[in-house]
Amino acid sequence: MTSNNNVVSFRHKLKKFTTDGAGRLIIFLIGSIILWAFISLFIIERPDRYLPSPMAVILSSLDMLYKGSLISFYSDTLGRLVFGGIVGILIGIPIGLALGLNRTIADMFYPLMNFFQSVSGIAIFPVVVIWFGNSDTTVMIVILYTSFFPIAFNVLSGVRSVPVRYIQAARTLGASRLQIIRDVLLPGAMPSIAVGTRLSVGFAWRAVIAGEMLAGRPGLGNMIFSGQELDNTAQILLGMVMIGVTWIVLDHYLLRPLEADTIERWGLVQR
Amino acid sequence: MGAGAEMITYNRLSIALQKRFGRQRLRRMILGSIPFIVLIFLWELNTHFGWYDPIEIPPISAMWEAIFWLQSDCPGFVAAIEGHNDCNLSNNIISSIGRVILAAAVGIPLGVAFGVLAGINRVLSGYLEPVGIFMNSVSGIAWIPLAIVWFGVGWETTLFIMLNTIFWLIFFNTMMGVRAVPRVLVQGVQTLGGSRWDTIRHVYIPGALPSIITGMRMSLGFGWRALIAAEMIGGDSGLGFMIFVSAVEFKSEEVFLGVILISIIYLISDRWLLVPLEKWTVERWGLVWKPT
Amino acid sequence: MSVEAKLIIKDLTHYYPDEYTGESVHALENINLQVYENEFVAIVGPSGCGKTTLLNIVAGLLPYRQGIATVDGIDISGPGPDRGVVFQEHAILPWRTVSKNIGHGLELQRLPKTEISRRVHEYIDLVGLTGFEDRYPHELSGGMKQRVAVARTLCADPVIMLMDEPFAAVDAQTRITLQDELNRIVMATRKTVLFITHSVEEAAFLGDRCIVFSRRPGQIKTEIKIQIPREERVWKDMSSNPIFTDARDEILRLVRQEVTSDDEQ
Repeated sequence: MTSNNNVVSFRHKLKKFTTDGAGRLIIFLIGSIILWAFISLFIIERPDRYLPSPMAVILSSLDMLYKGSLISFYSDTLGRLVFGGIVGILIGIPIGLALGLNRTIADMFYPLMNFFQSVSGIAIFPVVVIWFGNSDTTVMIVILYTSFFPIAFNVLSGVRSVPVRYIQAARTLGASRLQIIRDVLLPGAMPSIAVGTRLSVGFAWRAVIAGEMLAGRPGLGNMIFSGQELDNTAQILLGMVMIGVTWIVLDHYLLRPLEADTIERWGLVQR
Repeated sequence: MGAGAEMITYNRLSIALQKRFGRQRLRRMILGSIPFIVLIFLWELNTHFGWYDPIEIPPISAMWEAIFWLQSDCPGFVAAIEGHNDCNLSNNIISSIGRVILAAAVGIPLGVAFGVLAGINRVLSGYLEPVGIFMNSVSGIAWIPLAIVWFGVGWETTLFIMLNTIFWLIFFNTMMGVRAVPRVLVQGVQTLGGSRWDTIRHVYIPGALPSIITGMRMSLGFGWRALIAAEMIGGDSGLGFMIFVSAVEFKSEEVFLGVILISIIYLISDRWLLVPLEKWTVERWGLVWKPT
Repeated sequence: MSVEAKLIIKDLTHYYPDEYTGESVHALENINLQVYENEFVAIVGPSGCGKTTLLNIVAGLLPYRQGIATVDGIDISGPGPDRGVVFQEHAILPWRTVSKNIGHGLELQRLPKTEISRRVHEYIDLVGLTGFEDRYPHELSGGMKQRVAVARTLCADPVIMLMDEPFAAVDAQTRITLQDELNRIVMATRKTVLFITHSVEEAAFLGDRCIVFSRRPGQIKTEIKIQIPREERVWKDMSSNPIFTDARDEILRLVRQEVTSDDEQ
């Protein structure tokens, strides 16, 4: 009976490992790399051009690491993301607050903002290029433009979602308008600000890649684009993997926990 | 006397308008249009006083004329629909929208089919979840260089970018939607004698529908942007291609026109097609779905 | 009785692996049970005693290895329309109207439309939902949803109807109404029912036979026959019926024993 139990629990442990987060991820990663190598080595003709093998990508990354270009590209891109994301959020929060606090202002500017939000950052790129040329300024404007709207709209809806009762309660305690903003509306909007931050950074990430590609400024976006021009497909794949992995790491280990913590801590998000 | 009559007509008009649209909506419409009017006014003033160069900010009239200029050699409406070679503007619009429709027609059924298959099997969906996350993380734009290597510059590349964005978003949303369908609903249909296929048709797909529609809205949002970018970098037609070429040639009136068209097309399809669809399922079935 | 039972369970023993620890849990031990045509059998026992496991096995939702379970002489090997189930949660589909939900079983059996709508009407009348045919489930109260679930199961005309604590999620007042109504419906349709509950009163009120389960591993502890004709089973008379009160007290005592002996351990 005990041996039977041991067998059951071992099989269960194995099953648990293969179906749980970390184990599953490892199996998935190994599996997909094997699949990739298989397709590259045995199925595709001219793999160096159409789908280089994982080994070729690793070699290309070692080469770029040795020359120092990989780290410089990567830090350029991350620098743009961090700077653009922070500035975009810092502009977006007060504007979202102003719109959330005053209904007349909101009614006035909401349609305008809605229109400009749907003009995506990528679409305004040619306009910005006419104004500033293929410069770092152009890339930064596109990043700021894309990261501004999600946070502004989320702050707006966050402030609106604070129950009127809370404001009334604060008022009966003799709170001034400024105190109400500081003690009731801002904390109440915290969960939405967190959600908006995550969205903004996500949008900014796409804008960074697109902007670098279109304006030809050094960075990951330009790295994959020049990989295509130089007929170096391994470099494209390396860039794509780095873009994907960076976002996953950023999202899962920074933005999502931040969002979850904020929502939990300021937990009035029971809508 | 005359002034009094005017007042009466004015009041009547105001009351009639308020009745027609509702007081709050009327207020919002008027307030909301003020910034647009101010902006257009400033734009016109700029043309008049020449604060900024016409190349930096083109006159509104030039933009309006650009429509006719771009269509000047077009033999007529029917030819524009048929995609006559000389109908420059309409061809680019049709080419962009056509790719969205084509990619949606292929990508949505495919994404739903694979999403349902993956969602039904919990072990499989556990493995495919990271695939979905990764594929949606390598944003559509990052695929453009590889697509150019695979398909060359042209419509195949742009179609691939759009299809790629739509497929993974629909796949992921369908899978998550299917996984969220309560087990007991499936068991209910099984105990009524429903087969696997019956549970897919009657339970999983309708249950995942709100999630699928959210995926469709996201696909349009991300896909439209990715498509414009793809047309700029790796395309030879479409609105993105048009504004990019015009920018290189410093024809800023064409660029402005193109940008405005791109956003109007997106706004119309989102507000009048996908938002009503989303509302309809939620209201009809009473499913509360919070898009994330 | 010389007639063959509709549901036969012989020597059924069941283990399942615990979801978190992976250790195998002994859920059912040597269950022997027969349910005859037009009989209402209620299974009552402390929570976690394996009642629901038994029902899931009979419904075909849970595969079993040791023992025999047959309905109408056919081995149970998966869910099927011969065993209709009313779940504790409202398992009716939110995207189907009341009449579409009720006719779903017949639709799955590919019956002609006219036949479906005739039968649906009959059952809508039976459960008292006339006028609500085109409503969606979210527009109904909890009690009404459960009526739809019962009508849906009956409309498919199963050999036996399995009910898994169907009234546990509704308020006390509605529960009494629903119990009275279930009695009336069972009388009208002459259905065979296997009913699972943890409420002693409910079991004694509805069951022709009440089967008391021991705590885990679930075993049949006793069987109590309650010989009250179905037409006399109405709540306003039952509370003064000595057969009912005696049976109820006896079952309550047996269930209490199980719960308290559990505490002593």
